[in-house]
Amino acid sequence: MSALVFTPHIHTFTAITSRLQPKPKQRIKTSVALTRSPIIQASFSDPFVLQLAETFEDSLSPSQSPSLQKLRDSSSESLLSIPWPSRKDEPFRFTDTSFIKQSQIHPISKPPSTDHLTNVSNDTHSPNIVIVDGFILNSLSNSSNLPHGVYVGSLVDNPKDKIAQTLTKFSDDFQWGDLFWSINGLGAPDVAVVYIPAGVRVENPIHLSYVSVEGGEEGSNKLPVSNPRVLVVVEEGGEVGIIEEFTSIGRNDKCYWTNSVLEVMIEEGATVRHSYVQSQSLNSAHIKWTSVQQKSTSTYELVEVSTGGKLSRHNLHVQQLGPDTSTELSTFHLSLCGQTQDLHSRLVLDHPRAHSRQLHKCIVAHSQGQAVFDGNVKVNRYAQQTDAGQLTRSLLLEPRATVNVKPNLQIIADDVKCSHGAAISDLEESQLFYFQARGIDLETARKALVFSFGAEVIERCPYSFVRKRVENHVKELLSSTS
Amino acid sequence: MASLQLNLPSPSPTSPLSCSPRLSRLNPSPLNHHCFTPIATRFLRFHSNYRQSLHPVSAVPSAVDLAETNGTDGRDSEKKPLLEVKDLTAVIAESKQEILKGVNLVVNEGEVHAVMGKNGSGKSTFSKVLVGHPDYEVTGGSVMFKGENLLEMEPEDRSLAGLFMSFQSPVEIPGVNNIDFLNMAYNARRRKLGLPELGPIEFYAYLFPKLELVNMKSDFLNRNVNEGFSGGERKRNEILQLAVLGADLAILDEIDSGLDVDALKDVAKAVNGILTPKNSVLMITHYLRLLEFIRPTYIHIMENGRIVKTGDISIAKVLEKEGYRAISSP
Repeated sequence: MSALVFTPHIHTFTAITSRLQPKPKQRIKTSVALTRSPIIQASFSDPFVLQLAETFEDSLSPSQSPSLQKLRDSSSESLLSIPWPSRKDEPFRFTDTSFIKQSQIHPISKPPSTDHLTNVSNDTHSPNIVIVDGFILNSLSNSSNLPHGVYVGSLVDNPKDKIAQTLTKFSDDFQWGDLFWSINGLGAPDVAVVYIPAGVRVENPIHLSYVSVEGGEEGSNKLPVSNPRVLVVVEEGGEVGIIEEFTSIGRNDKCYWTNSVLEVMIEEGATVRHSYVQSQSLNSAHIKWTSVQQKSTSTYELVEVSTGGKLSRHNLHVQQLGPDTSTELSTFHLSLCGQTQDLHSRLVLDHPRAHSRQLHKCIVAHSQGQAVFDGNVKVNRYAQQTDAGQLTRSLLLEPRATVNVKPNLQIIADDVKCSHGAAISDLEESQLFYFQARGIDLETARKALVFSFGAEVIERCPYSFVRKRVENHVKELLSSTS
Repeated sequence: MASLQLNLPSPSPTSPLSCSPRLSRLNPSPLNHHCFTPIATRFLRFHSNYRQSLHPVSAVPSAVDLAETNGTDGRDSEKKPLLEVKDLTAVIAESKQEILKGVNLVVNEGEVHAVMGKNGSGKSTFSKVLVGHPDYEVTGGSVMFKGENLLEMEPEDRSLAGLFMSFQSPVEIPGVNNIDFLNMAYNARRRKLGLPELGPIEFYAYLFPKLELVNMKSDFLNRNVNEGFSGGERKRNEILQLAVLGADLAILDEIDSGLDVDALKDVAKAVNGILTPKNSVLMITHYLRLLEFIRPTYIHIMENGRIVKTGDISIAKVLEKEGYRAISSP
């Protein structure tokens, strides 16, 4: 394993950022242009990232799927021009990723033995796909009882042309990806696919269970990394629920890095209800990309509850590709220990009569805890009669607890209805007193109010078993910290 | 030896009138106790009668009469004082502006008191200070509740000790279910009494009859506490809480404000239904009409942070006709 371990070269890296910094707007353009000319690229390369990319290439066997191989190649190429992000880069201004960089990162090159996993599936709501350390475990996955034509499983096992094309097109078209997006593209051992044919309405939600097994001891500085990748394609008029659940097995203080990507293609008139629950180890790094493309009259609804991770970052990118399209995003982040919970969301509205609602709530209940929210909504020239609303509310419960919020609306169209709001507060004294006046002690009152703050988001999850599980988990976390 | 049931107007805090009854109450004479028991029992029975009916009772003795008769008969030794407020002064915590400037009041078990007064006279502040609202700071005086120093107790302990205040404008608590809130509060009470806590289903069985009492539908329970409630619904919800939790002393801060006549009747009926001969009520109101549904034993007029006059329902009638000018001390 020692071959895969490497040391950072910080000095080169700072030189790069300082060169890029004066022209932040051109960054994307520059990197796109550079992918065509490897000679200039070399001068922009971050040795740390190059070395990291090499260890990933070494750890993987060549894929049987041409589209996956293509993804790896293009990701590998783009890694040549992306430095490790620093606090000087706007998207990482408030999010310190040095904890990952300073660890001994090594890719997990083979799935763990299934002995560890006996307690994954003895659940009444058995998941449809179990992804362990980035690998799809067919033995634990349950794809029976699915309607005709629906495919849930590995890309390698069932490479439908359409899916392979979508995968390639997605990665070619996507220009917003960062270093972590490309690392996933290079390091993903497989792609899990959820395919819903036209007009098919899937009654029960498709449940994806992501489990982290391998992990370093606390303080060992070892950071095994997994790169799970999932592609969801819902054809015209299809309807499906997707549940993503990130957990770990065994002790809750293991060090690992989950670097996950989910791509969702929603065709005309289709509906996707997405629930994303992240409750990983408090020593882990959890970096997640969710990229959604929505064609006309389609609907995408997200409910996210993130409570785990030492560093948890969700990059959410939703792009509307046609008119009369609806997007609803509800997210709840909880930082109870010295955690960083970060949501960077971008919603791009390019077509008339778009509808969007975003609610982001976060609680920081630790003096070293931090929450970050950068919520961008772009209402472009042709997105007339758009109705876009965004609200972020943060609760800071401890002295020195930090929240950095940057809600930003960019409106070019002139006939739109847009709103945004940001509120940061402690618990309301008048509400606490109301509890006390009825004989309820302050501690219980605080807990009830803190819980109710997040409940507004949790309640929006359409699946009762997920809601129950999340509610219990949040209650448990809140009572363990007092 | 003045009356113990009421607070005589005391122009100055050092007046012997306001001091002596307290002393005598703290050291009740065994002789008095013995002699006047029969009268006291009669009086108590009378109380329980009028509580059970909504009909106005005409025979409420005037404060002056009481003061005179009580002065010597020592019936007070039989009537247990529930709340004794002595020279209470309080300021707004933030601005240090003095609102209460020496309030004296005694509420015995089973009595109904009403506090009236102009806007800004300190009525609501008085009730909030009693339940320990953090917006106010007590700067002097004492408050004894059931023989214990109320001012040293946390707000939740005051509630558990049997003091209940219905808020004039109760806050909305989004995300907290009404039934969960009631269950939480009721279980806090049961814990205090050393009783096992009730689960949601057992609690619902306990709660259901109380709903009828305040004339509320059960879907009301699944809404968030006070969120989107109309004025009437909020008041009913306060009374529902009173019905669920019970109280030795219920402070009703303007439960009549913003209610139409029917809603007022409902709320008053509920309050009367909850009361037993042993609980006491301290009502704060602007209007006579509430007092016609819940008959007070005494009416106090508050002005500029003090109780300046005490009497029976006739005071309220004068007020209604002629306004506070007729009552104000010269």
